[in-house]
Amino acid sequence: MASIQIPTVSEARLLSVLDTAVDGLIVMDDQGRVLVFNKACETLFGYMALDVVGHNIKMLMPPEFSDNHDRYISHYLETGERRIIGIGREVRGKHKDGTVFPLELSVGEAHTPDGRQFIGVLRDLRSRKAVEQRLNVLQGQLVNMARVQAIDEMGAAIAHELNQPLTAVMLYLQAVNRKMGSLDEPEKLGPVLDILVRALREAERASGIIQRMRHSVERREPERQSSDLNALLDEALELTLIGHNIDSLEVERDLDPALSSVDVDPIQIQQVLTNLIRNALEAVRKSAVPKIRLASRLDESNAYVDIEDSGPGIPLEVAASLFKAFASTKRSGLGLGLMISRSIAQNHGGDLTVDAGGNGRGATFTLRLPLIVMQNISDD
Amino acid sequence: MKVHILEDDAGVNESLRTLLQAFGYTVTSHENAASFFLAHPPEADELVIVDLGLPDIDGASVIRWVESLSRPPRVIVISGQPQRLIDRALKDVPNITVLRKPLSGESLMPLLT
Repeated sequence: MASIQIPTVSEARLLSVLDTAVDGLIVMDDQGRVLVFNKACETLFGYMALDVVGHNIKMLMPPEFSDNHDRYISHYLETGERRIIGIGREVRGKHKDGTVFPLELSVGEAHTPDGRQFIGVLRDLRSRKAVEQRLNVLQGQLVNMARVQAIDEMGAAIAHELNQPLTAVMLYLQAVNRKMGSLDEPEKLGPVLDILVRALREAERASGIIQRMRHSVERREPERQSSDLNALLDEALELTLIGHNIDSLEVERDLDPALSSVDVDPIQIQQVLTNLIRNALEAVRKSAVPKIRLASRLDESNAYVDIEDSGPGIPLEVAASLFKAFASTKRSGLGLGLMISRSIAQNHGGDLTVDAGGNGRGATFTLRLPLIVMQNISDD
Repeated sequence: MKVHILEDDAGVNESLRTLLQAFGYTVTSHENAASFFLAHPPEADELVIVDLGLPDIDGASVIRWVESLSRPPRVIVISGQPQRLIDRALKDVPNITVLRKPLSGESLMPLLT
C-alpha cells in the first residue's frame, strides 16, 4: 500500500494546532469513526469532542447524507472513484439541537500506519448565506422599485406631453362653441352644436385620465430616514459588481466618514447610486485601464457623491439630452434611468449633474443631497 | 378688457387667444418673457395669464415683476407641471390663482369676469 506519512508531530501538539483552527477539522478512519474533532467543530455542531470521538460521523449529518454515508465510503474504497475527496463541495451538517445548516466541506486523504484516514475541513456557510440572501432581497427590492418608478416617470412624461395639445383642443372647441352661439339662425346649427358638445366631452374625458395618472405619480414622496450614505454607496457597489465581471477593474473609494447620517429615502438613493455605478461600469468596459472612483464629501449645506469613470466621456450631442426620457443610446432599456435618478434627487431637494469629460477624461456624475430638509408644501 | 398671455407652447397660446377673443376680450400673446417685457406693460384693470414653464425665465420672476408695477393687474398662473414643482416655484409669491393643464374653458372663464 502506497503511503503518505502524516507529519510527525506529537499528538498533543497536533491537537493544539487543531484547536486553534478557525475552520472545523474532523479526522475519521475508513470505517467512518471520528478520531479527531476540534474546538471549532464543537462550536459548529454543539457536541463536545468526547461525545463524538469514537462514534460514526453520520451523527453529524442530516438523513439525506447519513443514510448513504457508509455506502459512499465503501464505494470509494472499492473503486477509488472520487466524489468529494480533493474536490470539496457544499453539504449540510446537523447540529446537536437538530438544526441543519450549510457547510463547505473539503476532504483530504492520508495513508497512515493505522490505515487510511480522511481529513475533513469544514467552513460554516451560514453567515455567507445570510449576506447572499440579504443581497438578493435588496436586489429584488431595487428591481421592483425601479419598475414602479419607471412606470411613474413614463406616466408623468406622457401626461406632460399630452397636456399641451389637449388643452389646445379643448380651448379651440370652446371657442367654436362660443362663436356658433352668437351666429344667426341657431336652429340650423343645432345638430352641429350637439356634435361639438360631444367632442368637448370626449376631450374632457381624456383630460380626466391624465389628471388621474398625474395624481398617482405625485403621491410618491421620498420616505426619509437617517441613512449612512457611505454604506449605501458600498452596498450599491457590491450589488452592481454581482452582475458585472470586468477584468482588472480598479475601484477607488474616497469616502468622508461624516456622511454616516443623512436624511434620505435609502431605497430611492440606493437606486440612484446603483444606476450610476452600473453606467460607470458600462463606460469602462472597453477601457485599457478600467477604473471607477467613488467619493463622498460634504459642505455646510449639502452632501455630495461623485461617481467618476475612466471611460471615453460623454459626447456633446448625447450629454445635452442625457436626463430626458427615451434618450438612451443603449440597445436595451428606455433610457429612463438617469431621468428617474435626477427626479429622485430633485424630489429630495437636491440634484444630479454631470461633468461629461471627453479628451481622455471619463465622465463624473455628482449627486447632491441637502443636509437640512426644507419642509415640503403638501400636495392638494 | 385686455388679456396678456405668456405661453411658450404655440398650440396652447393660439387656442387660448382664439377662445378669449371669441368671448370678446382683447388679447396680446407672447411666447417668451422677453417679448412680454418689451411690450407695453399691463394696466391695473387688465389680466396676465402666465405659464410657469417659460423658456427664458421662471414664471415666479414674471409674477414678481408684474406685482412690482405701481398699479399691478391680476395674474393667473397656468401650468402642466406636477403640483410639488408648482408649490416650490411659487413659494415666494403666495395667493396666486393657479390653473393646472389640461385647461378647460369652464375653469378659466369664471375667473375672467
